[in-house]
Amino acid sequence: MTSAIKSEPFILNIGPQHPSTHGVFRVKVTVDGERILDAEMVMGYLHRSMEKLAEERTYTQNIPFTDRTDYLSSMSNNLGYCLAVEKLAGIDVPDRGQAIRVIMAELQRLASHCMAVGAFANDTGAWQTPVMWAFREREKILDLFEMTAGARLTCNYMRIGGVAFDLPKDFVPMARDLMKTFPAFIDDIDGMLTENEIFLVRTRGVAVISPELAVNGSLAGPMLRGSGIAWDIRKADPYCGYEKYDFDIPIGYQGDSFDRFIVRLEEMRQSVRIVQQALDALPGGPHSTQVPLALRPPAGEAYARVEGPRGELGYYVVSDEGPSPYRFHIRPPSFINLSVLKEMTVGGSVADAIVALGSVDIVVGEIDR
Amino acid sequence: MNLPFLVSDKWYDIRDLGNLSGAILDQLDKVLPYGLVYVIAILIGFIASFLIFVLPTQLFLGVLGERKIIGRIQSRYGPNRVGPFGTLQPIADALKLIQKEALIPTAADRWVMLIAPIVFVAPAVLLFAVLPFGPNMVIADVPVSLIYFLAVSSLPVLGAFMAGWSANNKYSLYGAMRIVAMAISYEVPLVMSLLGVALLSSTLSLQGMVFWQKDVHLWMIFLQPIAFAVYFICVSAELNRTPADIAEAESEIVAGYLTEYSGMQWGLFYGMDIGYALAAAAFASTVFLGGWSMWGLEEYVPSWLIFAVKTQLFYLLFLWTRGTLPRLRIDQLMAFAWKFLLPLALLNLLIVATEKVIWTQEELGDGIVFLFAPINIVAAAVLVYAWAKVNGYRPENTPKKPRMVKDATGYIPASGGGR
Amino acid sequence: MALEGFGPAFAFWLLSAITLISAGGVMMARNLLHAVLFLIVTFIGVAGFFILLSAEFIAMAQVVIYVGAVAVLILFAILLTPRSARDNSETVWGAPAALLSIALAAVLIFVIHDTAWSETNSFQAPSVEDLGRALLSTWVLPFQLASVLLTAALIGAIMLVRSPEEEAEDALS
Repeated sequence: MTSAIKSEPFILNIGPQHPSTHGVFRVKVTVDGERILDAEMVMGYLHRSMEKLAEERTYTQNIPFTDRTDYLSSMSNNLGYCLAVEKLAGIDVPDRGQAIRVIMAELQRLASHCMAVGAFANDTGAWQTPVMWAFREREKILDLFEMTAGARLTCNYMRIGGVAFDLPKDFVPMARDLMKTFPAFIDDIDGMLTENEIFLVRTRGVAVISPELAVNGSLAGPMLRGSGIAWDIRKADPYCGYEKYDFDIPIGYQGDSFDRFIVRLEEMRQSVRIVQQALDALPGGPHSTQVPLALRPPAGEAYARVEGPRGELGYYVVSDEGPSPYRFHIRPPSFINLSVLKEMTVGGSVADAIVALGSVDIVVGEIDR
Repeated sequence: MNLPFLVSDKWYDIRDLGNLSGAILDQLDKVLPYGLVYVIAILIGFIASFLIFVLPTQLFLGVLGERKIIGRIQSRYGPNRVGPFGTLQPIADALKLIQKEALIPTAADRWVMLIAPIVFVAPAVLLFAVLPFGPNMVIADVPVSLIYFLAVSSLPVLGAFMAGWSANNKYSLYGAMRIVAMAISYEVPLVMSLLGVALLSSTLSLQGMVFWQKDVHLWMIFLQPIAFAVYFICVSAELNRTPADIAEAESEIVAGYLTEYSGMQWGLFYGMDIGYALAAAAFASTVFLGGWSMWGLEEYVPSWLIFAVKTQLFYLLFLWTRGTLPRLRIDQLMAFAWKFLLPLALLNLLIVATEKVIWTQEELGDGIVFLFAPINIVAAAVLVYAWAKVNGYRPENTPKKPRMVKDATGYIPASGGGR
Repeated sequence: MALEGFGPAFAFWLLSAITLISAGGVMMARNLLHAVLFLIVTFIGVAGFFILLSAEFIAMAQVVIYVGAVAVLILFAILLTPRSARDNSETVWGAPAALLSIALAAVLIFVIHDTAWSETNSFQAPSVEDLGRALLSTWVLPFQLASVLLTAALIGAIMLVRSPEEEAEDALS
């Protein structure tokens, strides 16, 4: 790669139409042969002006918008928004509603990590097989969502003050069965990829994020934990009664792509644990409190954060006592995690850049909103 | 070649289709003017090998089998809509591709782009000319057919390069650059691994190698496992198959040198990729797996059938790797060829040369190969492991599980079992 | 196989035409890449001549070495050449070069025509085995010298493309 032969650097557009950009996202890289000299992110191809639109709709009407930001984890997004509004209006959620929210959020994490792990393996060149296996399992989770919320991808299930519907009769046994078989699938993917020498050499030492960079870049989720930083909103700032469940935070060693991958795998195992505990201790009672349809919270502001699949997912809502938010803002983890892409890719090769991008696990709907 | 055994030379003996074509040609020779019969012989040879080998295997076992088997690996069905069990899917695909417009970008080098698929396809057909399908069934029994095969199989790289260069697309150019770099690197260990085979069997003719393996009653794979492994890896790299499909790496450079191709031009590249893989599989089963011979079974079963089955079984290996392995980076591939495969192939050559000297100097019988085989298999295992260790292969140093903590306590430096 | 009969004669003239036309293309092509592609066709044509002369091994070696290695190396060189310096341009040396090559061709044809070639009717094409034995017995010294030369070239090529950092590393150790 490094040689005395002079070659002309040229600019390569990766995206917006490219198999590995996970949507319409574009990186303008300056390359010398295969080595990347500079990387510039170009985003906004999927901008839908959600934050402005939300100012014209009532608080309840805004829930479907949150489905469509990070469309791979709509449950977590619903949850973050509802928590923010509940904090603003001072609404309490009954125990059963809390437990259902935890189950749904963790199932959503499993579904989203299935996608992340599969797509990441696809980016390293494992042609479609891991992604297909992951999709197979993800479908089963989406089946659970469909029988509960009526939709698979954009669930629109959480409501201010609880959840939209109580769990259907078959949900608990089906979820239990799925949680019994799920660890075997995680072991399959684990054995297929982490025991594979080619996968190791492609991901180890690639796109390293130092702990300092991870903190300074305000990274969150597996990106942060991959660099060896034990940080999880579910532990640091529990919501929905997460303090009642027993689970561990997996952290990586040196912050390379491989660490982020194994952190995600282990998080899936922990999510299975949480779902099992929540199913066992599912309390009775109402699933939701009665909240007026035209909610007018007292003037003020509230910020609520949840540990989404991609990291700290924050919702900031300002009220002026009107029926719709005065200001509505999202802290999208993909967008902020992506801010270190240049540090991750410069100096590596084009193939490494794709692996780096895959290890961030972006959802373009969330970046552009 | 003189054939004192095996099949009769009656034209109706189905165990060797060479008899039939020979009988037809003899009859034709009496009627036709001089020389024309050679042309017809070549035509018959190609048509026959296409009909009984390339067409069914390529269309149905190649295209369809690839999609079906990889589908099963990926826990899905694969094509099952067109025709019974989806068997007509390749034909439907071909029809669709023929209908599509073959686009040529304005800024492309038009003629080079048009010629590139032809340059890519022609050698694939030529490769089958020297492969022995049976004791009499070889279109051109060239005494140096091993070298012929190597020579012709180095040509499609030019077609791929022309395709990548002419499209005037940066991704295509990447594909072209990568394929040329790979072709140069992997040709070296490939030839080195085959040198050992040629040395042991004392012939450069593929037919001769089959007869040699038949005479000693042992396949070359047992005598030279290293050569087989090196050949398999190198040929996967040269044919752009995973884990070395960097020249058309879908997730990195879109489709590499095929980025700008569409319609049947693309279809030719795609189809011939499978054609080359089949040719490589056929070559491997000839050189390493005993070709059409099967310890006497070829007396009863048509030899070309044995050959086709072996080829398909070897081709399954390609599918298996394609369905499971990730892709290496180009510098890792280059380092692997030069630092790992080439020394191994040279060591293999050394072992084989020593054994050959012992064999000929001590005037030992053919039975000695049954002593060499276990020695070589053990030596191969030891050498591969030791050489990997020397090259820094330390699987136990990689933590495969993350550290687990109970509380969100901030940064915890990795200590001990780290990297 | 002697050059008699319809088939070989036809093949000879066909190969001659292909080789000469593509050799002309090498000179005429303005695009450097087209010139190399023509050169490859020329190489393959020459390999065809070797086959006509019953020298299969040399023909195959011609394809392996010239088409598979040399031409690909030239392609590599083109890939690494800056675009501005890549294509052929008009030079004032065109006419003198043409005159010189015509003169050379005339001399060669004259010499070939006038030489008293010794003809033999009992020609047995040497097999690969004969070639191998000759290389490792009679001609072993030139064979080894060529190997040493190639090794030196290989090491030289590696030295040429080393980066300054690598050289600094080696100097320290």
